[in-house]
Order: sequence, then structure tokens, then C-alpha cells
Amino acid sequence: MGVTCVCQVPVAEGKSVQQTVDLLHKKLDQLGAVKQGSFCVDCETYHATANVGGQQSKLLYVMHNTETPLSCFALFEGGPCLKADTNFDILMVKLKSHFQNAKGYKVECRGSRYRYCDFLIKVGTVTMSSSARGISVEVEYCPCVVPGDCWNLMKEFMQSFLSSNVPELPSVFATKPEGLFAPADAIDTMTQYLEVFNKLRKLQIPGSNVR
Amino acid sequence: MADVVNVGVNLEAFSHAINGIQALRSSVSRVFDFLKDGMKNRENLEGREKLFLTEFQDNLQAVNRDLNELERLSGLVGRPSESHPLHNSGLLSLDPVQDKTPLYSQLLQAYKWSNKVYSSSHTCSHWYVDDVISRIGRMFPDMTIELFRPNGNSAVLLVTLGKVLKAIVVMRSLFIDRTVVRGFSENIYNEDGKLDIWTKSQYQVFQKVTDHATTALLHYQLPQMPDVVVRSFMTWLRSYIKLFQSPCQRCGHFLQDGLPPTWRDFRTLEAFHDTCRM
Repeated sequence: MGVTCVCQVPVAEGKSVQQTVDLLHKKLDQLGAVKQGSFCVDCETYHATANVGGQQSKLLYVMHNTETPLSCFALFEGGPCLKADTNFDILMVKLKSHFQNAKGYKVECRGSRYRYCDFLIKVGTVTMSSSARGISVEVEYCPCVVPGDCWNLMKEFMQSFLSSNVPELPSVFATKPEGLFAPADAIDTMTQYLEVFNKLRKLQIPGSNVR
Repeated sequence: MADVVNVGVNLEAFSHAINGIQALRSSVSRVFDFLKDGMKNRENLEGREKLFLTEFQDNLQAVNRDLNELERLSGLVGRPSESHPLHNSGLLSLDPVQDKTPLYSQLLQAYKWSNKVYSSSHTCSHWYVDDVISRIGRMFPDMTIELFRPNGNSAVLLVTLGKVLKAIVVMRSLFIDRTVVRGFSENIYNEDGKLDIWTKSQYQVFQKVTDHATTALLHYQLPQMPDVVVRSFMTWLRSYIKLFQSPCQRCGHFLQDGLPPTWRDFRTLEAFHDTCRM
């Protein structure tokens, strides 16, 4: 588990989502990256039904990542996070009375996995109710565990195939208690995916560019 | 010849013993010749059988006598000196052309010298090694050195550098034998729970650093002051604390073929890509 950065890449001017993804794949191939299978990150939304004294009902997000197939992540936005095994999904079914599944809000991100030297790159298409909403790119630098150490190195790498779409330092790293020098973990990655999904959920895609 | 087969051998008894072997051989051949010739002609069968048996017995007794004589003589010959330092290689001394190929005498000298080196290196006691290592470990705050002795004799060091890397350094008394460098998050133990001193890192960057560290071991050499060597090696290794933060001093980039600058100059400790170093 190295340092991971997840960002959203805008769809290229005049092109569709799929075409932009293909462009990215081509750039990665040119760099010398090797395709190594596929990946999927999904997110389900639950409403907390118990309203204590007029508080707004909180949203619970339950996420899965094929990179950690035996794990399940439960996050409140900006709040506590939980990492459990896949039995947690069954637990959520049992907690139907407290948490209701917002079925139309399931988000999925699917795509190909590439390996380049010690980097792992995942380019995914984010879909919500089977319509493509955008593109996510995840870059992991596996040998390093401290984000503050390798951020400049990762930026240089991302520039080589994302050109001007290189993101800023993810806020998850800056807001940790020790700041940039606390070791990264899987929950940081899922938090970043959640941010991208929520951003894309709110985005209004002009009709002609979908799919 | 005189070097190896020295005073313990009685040369006269030796030549008598060789004669004794010849006598034994001839009496044994006489036995078989006699058997081959079979019975000699006599008036009746009984006479022939009796003669055959008598002569056969005489021949066997002659063999017995010669064998006993040989055993007596071999007892007198004595043993050549037991202390050949080189065992089978000592047979090289039988080479008659001593002047052109003084292989044996050179071999003896080399063996005596290596014995001296080995015994003097063993005077570095465990206590002394532990002391040197703990002093070096206190030199740098971001580097910790743990000492293990999994085989009882030679030390194995686990050097942890910040949150960047873990290096395993195998020692032979105070001399560094070999090293393996792995990432901070990689597993350092094998299935038995012991320190894994063989498996390579799974990351290319640390495989490269391991190669460079092995080169450093060969570079920092000073047989009379092994503690200075260990100190220099650790100072060099410590420069990797900024492995992921330093750009290359030559090209200015962080990455070259996906790798950060993995080479550290032995004098200046500056960072260079493997392909950029001069």
C-alpha cells in the first residue's frame, strides 16, 4: 500500500468519455506502461432514518474496491470511517430500519489497471445509473508510504500523461493530525474516490457528450 | 619429497617391504599355476590325490609365510607425518619440476597467510562489535540499527531509515559481507518468523538501491580500520533519507524511466539517476 492520489479528469474538448479514456490509455502505452487487468470501485448511499432532535439525516457511504477484495469501507462524509470485511454488507441489510439504501444513487467506477515501474495507474469511467458521468484517474506510488515525501515525484509522473490536468495535493493528506507526514492508508484512497463521486454527482453533463 | 614424507619413515624397511610384496605375489601366482596344472602322473589315483594335496598345502603355507613377513615389515616401515596441512593438495609436492611450477610452496604460503588472517579477525569479540555498532547507531537520529545474531557468531544488522527503507546488513565479525535493501512497508521476516536476509525487494527502486549498496561495500574498504568502514557505509546509506524528495543533480528531474535518483556519490553524497551519474 503506497501513496495514492485519485483525481477527476475532465472530458477532452469535443470528445466523448470513452474517447478521452482511450486517449489516456494510448498515452500510458506510449510511456511504456503495461496493462494488468481491470478494477472496480463502487459506492452505495444510505440515509440514516433516525432523526435525533431535528438533525439533518446523515449520509452513510459503503464502498468496495477490487484492490482490497476482502474489505468493505463505511464512511460518513467528513466523519468517522470504518474498514470491515465483506460481511458488513450483510450487516447493513439487517440494519434496514436504521439505514435506508438510496438505490438510485449507486456509483461505479470501472476501468483498466496499468503498471509502470513502481507506479500503479487506474483509469476509470464513473457511471451512475448506467450513464457515464466522468473519468477518474488513480495513481499509486507503491514503494513510498509518506505522501509528503513523494508528492513532487508523483506530480512529475502525472504530468507525463495528464499534461495540464495534474491535480493539487489531495486534502486528505493535508488534514491529517501529523499533516503530510503521516503514513497513507486505504481509507485515504476511498475518501478521495468519494470526493470524486460526489463532485460528479452534482455535475450536470450536457446531453450530447454522454457516453 | 622430504617435506612431506619426513622422518617417520624407515626407508630400508620400506624397500624390504616392497620385496616382500613381490614375494607374496609370486607365491600366490604359484598357487594358481599349480591348480591350473592339475594332478601329476602317478601309479594310482590315491597316490596322485595325496601328492596333489601335499603340494597344494605347501604352496598355501608359502603364501601364509610371505603374508606374515609382509605384515611384519609394514609394521617396521612407520607412518609418514600426519600433519599435512593441505591433505590431498600435498600430493602436488610430488611434482618433480619444482623450479618451473612452484605450486606447492606457494600454496603452503597462501594457506598459512589465510590462517593468520582468519585467526586475527576472530579476535574481534562480540562485545567489541556490539559496542561499535551501538555507537554508530547513535550517530544519526533518523536511523536505528538493531543487532541480531541468528547463527550465534556473525551479526546481522537491521537498519531502519526514517519511514523510507529497511536495510539488512550481514556482517562477518566487523566486516560487512552483503546487504539487502527493502521498502519501509515490506515484510522483513520469512515464514519461520526469522529475519529474511535473502529475498529481493518487490520494488524496482529498492532493487536498484540494493545494487548500489553492494557497490558501496566494495568501495569503502580499509582492512586495518573496519569500524571506519562501517561508519562510512552508514553515513552513505543515511543519505537515502530523502530518496523520494531529491531531484537528480544532473538532469534536475525526479524521474528517469520511472525511477527516482537512486545513486549517491561516494564522496559528496549527491543524488543522481543511475543513468545520469558521471
